[in-house]
Amino acid sequence: MMEKILSRHFFNAEARKLSFYLNDGGYEAARNALTQMTPQQVADQVIRSNLRGLGGAGFPAGRKWSFIPKDSPNPRYLVVNCDESEPGTFKDRHILEWTPHSLLEGIIIAAYAIGASQCFIYTRGEYLHYARMLQAALDEACQAGFFGKNIWGTGFDLDVLIHLGAGAYICGEESALLESLEGKKGWPRLRPPFPAVSGLFGCPTIINNTETLSYIPAIIRYGGSWFAGLGTPQNGGLRLYSVSGHVKNPGVYELPLGTPLREIIYTHAGGIRQGRKLKAVIPGGSSTPVLRADEIDVRMDFDSLAAIGSLLGSAGIIVMDESTCLVKALAVLAKFYHHESCGQCTPCREGTGWMARILNRILDGQGVRDDLENLLRVAGNIRGTTICALGDAAAMPVFSFITKFRDEFESHVLQGRCLASK
Amino acid sequence: MSLQSFSDRLLSEISEILARYPQPRAALLPILHACQRESGYISRDTETAVAELVGIPAIDVRETVSFYSLLLDKPAGKYHLQFCTNLSCTLLGAEESVAAACRKLGVHPGETTRDNRFTLTTVECLGACDLSPSLQVNDDYYANMSAEKVNELLDKLK
Amino acid sequence: MPTLTIDGQQVTVSKGATIMQAAEALGIYIPRYCYHPGLRVAGSCRMCLVEIEKAPKLDIACYRQAAEGMVVHTTTEPVKLARQSILEFLLSNHPLDCPVCDQSGECDLQNFYMEFGLYQSRFLENKIKRRKAFPIGRHVMLDNERCILCSRCVRFCEEVSRSHELGIVNRGDRSEIALREGSQLDNEYSGNVIDICPVGALTEREFRFQCRVWYLNRAASVCPGCSRGCNIELHYNVNRPHQSGGKRVLRLKPRFNAEVNKWWMCDEGRYGFEFIDAPSRLQDFEIRTAQRTVVASREQAVQTLSDWIGDSIDRHGSQSLGIFLSPKLSNEDLYGIGKFARHVGIDCLDFRNPSERPGYQDDFLIQADKNPNTRGCLELGLYRRSEDSGGWMAGEIQRGKVRVLIVFLQDLALAPEFQQVLGRLERLVFVGSNRNGTAEIASLVVPSATYAEKDGSFTNFEGRAQRFERAVVPLGSAVAEADLVASVAVSFGMQREEFERERLLSDLRREYPFFDQEALNPPELEWVYQTPIGQERL
Repeated sequence: MMEKILSRHFFNAEARKLSFYLNDGGYEAARNALTQMTPQQVADQVIRSNLRGLGGAGFPAGRKWSFIPKDSPNPRYLVVNCDESEPGTFKDRHILEWTPHSLLEGIIIAAYAIGASQCFIYTRGEYLHYARMLQAALDEACQAGFFGKNIWGTGFDLDVLIHLGAGAYICGEESALLESLEGKKGWPRLRPPFPAVSGLFGCPTIINNTETLSYIPAIIRYGGSWFAGLGTPQNGGLRLYSVSGHVKNPGVYELPLGTPLREIIYTHAGGIRQGRKLKAVIPGGSSTPVLRADEIDVRMDFDSLAAIGSLLGSAGIIVMDESTCLVKALAVLAKFYHHESCGQCTPCREGTGWMARILNRILDGQGVRDDLENLLRVAGNIRGTTICALGDAAAMPVFSFITKFRDEFESHVLQGRCLASK
Repeated sequence: MSLQSFSDRLLSEISEILARYPQPRAALLPILHACQRESGYISRDTETAVAELVGIPAIDVRETVSFYSLLLDKPAGKYHLQFCTNLSCTLLGAEESVAAACRKLGVHPGETTRDNRFTLTTVECLGACDLSPSLQVNDDYYANMSAEKVNELLDKLK
Repeated sequence: MPTLTIDGQQVTVSKGATIMQAAEALGIYIPRYCYHPGLRVAGSCRMCLVEIEKAPKLDIACYRQAAEGMVVHTTTEPVKLARQSILEFLLSNHPLDCPVCDQSGECDLQNFYMEFGLYQSRFLENKIKRRKAFPIGRHVMLDNERCILCSRCVRFCEEVSRSHELGIVNRGDRSEIALREGSQLDNEYSGNVIDICPVGALTEREFRFQCRVWYLNRAASVCPGCSRGCNIELHYNVNRPHQSGGKRVLRLKPRFNAEVNKWWMCDEGRYGFEFIDAPSRLQDFEIRTAQRTVVASREQAVQTLSDWIGDSIDRHGSQSLGIFLSPKLSNEDLYGIGKFARHVGIDCLDFRNPSERPGYQDDFLIQADKNPNTRGCLELGLYRRSEDSGGWMAGEIQRGKVRVLIVFLQDLALAPEFQQVLGRLERLVFVGSNRNGTAEIASLVVPSATYAEKDGSFTNFEGRAQRFERAVVPLGSAVAEADLVASVAVSFGMQREEFERERLLSDLRREYPFFDQEALNPPELEWVYQTPIGQERL
């Protein structure tokens, strides 16, 4: 069994070249899909693979494709979400840098499956350098005839455009991403309609995460069942775990879904730096509920994390050791959501700023007895009332940090004393 | 009027960009990026001219420019230091790097040095937590920053 | 045609209707800030969150479509809590400067707080400071601190005026309403943004600090500014004249009419009411001889006018009398005048001022004909069909045929055709509300009531007759034109009752079936924008 798919050639600069990728059997899956398979057969393999959206929401990738209306007269679009901005997540950056052809091949297959002949890759503006690497790979692939008109003589056309964002976390939200791609500010759309029915320019649109698409060539090459077998029964395959914070070896680790969090931290990422004790872990990007040190035996898959009240999200693991002040940590996250709230709907616009200000006041030693209840109440009033998930994302850390580390927060509020061991 | 102040090179870049998109407005961000590369920021006149090129009201361009943090409506210094202060970078001491840079340059976050060489800002997650504390200077990422490394870097850039 | 249940009541609505619309059909009011029936749904304020059974969370009534079998609750605890918390969010950075805010009394932050809020504030932080009270156009002031970013004004400028002046710039709680530097909110319909602003962010420069809105009374009316006949409300203050320097009518607001103007009116119409309380108003009957002008009583004036008419008929026949009407007169006044003219045999009638030129018009509300009742004059046949304009009457005067001319409202002295010949008249009578050049040279001046001071109807360019109601009493000795004519007609053997308003109206309806009977029903007042404190919401 192959242990790694995308990360096999990380840190090998040769691997981003087309020749290297072709030697490794690259673009064979796409060629097979286009010449030997029907779009439905492609989709069936992806459904069988149990591949779930790896941007954060975890929606089954194959099922998402099936929402494209069969009878729409409009062109269909494939949009790649490469706006990677969830704090603690940097896997897509690695794909752009080390294996851009995996993404490009995945795009061909996905576009074929949904019948799109135009694809946009929406890359966050800060990734300019990495977008250029992707562009270089795309240019090579175009020259090789893998994009453009009549690919492999099949009559299938596909153009890809790399589109740079301009600095807004919210544009990782798929409907905000579409607005941004249309040249507007990133205000999420009301739903329905969902993008599969009315997305980019009002046309049927599938938005897939970079990593999700990058796994598709392997799924087509080795079969959906093979990929599914790499993970747990409900959670197919491998994925890229981004590990950062107080670990010895921060980085991206490609492991099966369901790998225990403890193993990722201690075996793969080298454990906690300077021999300190672990205090808390955010398992799936900044918005996912924080775990205590005694919760890290959880398996890193969608269902296991949901069972203990957290989320796998983007699998961005942020590790915090005993020196961490969790009030400060939460204040940093609250500042982030306050900075990134788009301002469209009331609860998120007003609530994120309110929470950030309360937390800053507590850090300044000006906390009052009611602050924690009030934080929980404000977070509760944001949750479930907003247009998009950013409101929930801002609320979740507040609940989990205060609930799980209440003593630290109370000490700050009531005694102005930090319990973190420096 | 201000369209005439666009260089021929920029104008031809813009028309290439426009040709790639099914609708002109979709080309707005790439066009604004191109304008910013040319002059370091996006002036109000540029907004008006771009609005005309894309065929949308000028206020829509204003909204867009003001929404995105990478689009600058006033000039930044020659080196734009963008320190990530999100969680992973803060855990590993990002604040010390920021403080060191502020001390050395004599500015607060958000300010530009008098000689217009440096603008210092704190930013949210750069997607480079494996490189924490991370710093972006113009288009390039710098890894594992510390007060010491910031001082070295600034000496080199001066 | 889904059937759904809202708060225990069933309702069937058309396909695509929202929960908000279904609730409205049941008379259930769901509070809202960003929703406005005349604008695209924004769905951003979240005030209209309701509970839908089997849904995982609350949803917004303005956007969610009604579905078969849907069960909606608008008064349950989760809904109440959501409304409270939205209000708390909106008010957290709101300056609460109600004592100096013009919107007080018709502010939906105030109203909804009293109805759905009533929480104890737990906001301890410093409020965000923003720019306050600055003009953004001829008529509109902006206060960014009071703004709740509902985006109604932005959508209005995008979708209705299509002038695109306004936007929401920046991000998050730094967002604010803005214009481009150096630009102004100067479209022809700018005043509407004041009406639809649910808070005190956009206020009216003309009305600012003129009067507390709870001292205002309202009357349903029709805009006399052009032939569109936009339905309006007159807001007037008669109880506290000191608040507004004695001015009575203080502002006009559009009144919803689905067929005519929807929720809107133009600025030209909105700010065209100044003449009602202007210093130029005629308040006295004046009899002018070569030597002097004397103020007369109503009885003296009526007697004088009756004598002049009777004398002229006796000496030269009824052809010696001319009447120059105005398309600004109401149908009732026109009809009353016409009735009298027929009775005494005057057929030298017209209303078409030869010097009047078409004004500005657009493809929305503004009509080139700046008169509210040209169509009424035409329908009533009060002109000489063989002629293209009323200029022919100048010829009749020139030839010495017309010796006594009664002019209603119009400044005929300005019309070149008439300038030379008015001096040849034996008697020139001017009936009008405001002083003008014709009044200056008239031998008898009768002050008349404005449309704000009487009941009546105008027929718009499409032939729609629409009633307006009296707001304030006629200024000074001013009289409605038909009442003047009634007083005169009595001397010629007619009954005063024939000129009573309801009688004129029923005669009109009988004789001229083209009048839209529905439209002639008394107008109803509805609050299409903010709810005033103490007013029951419709």
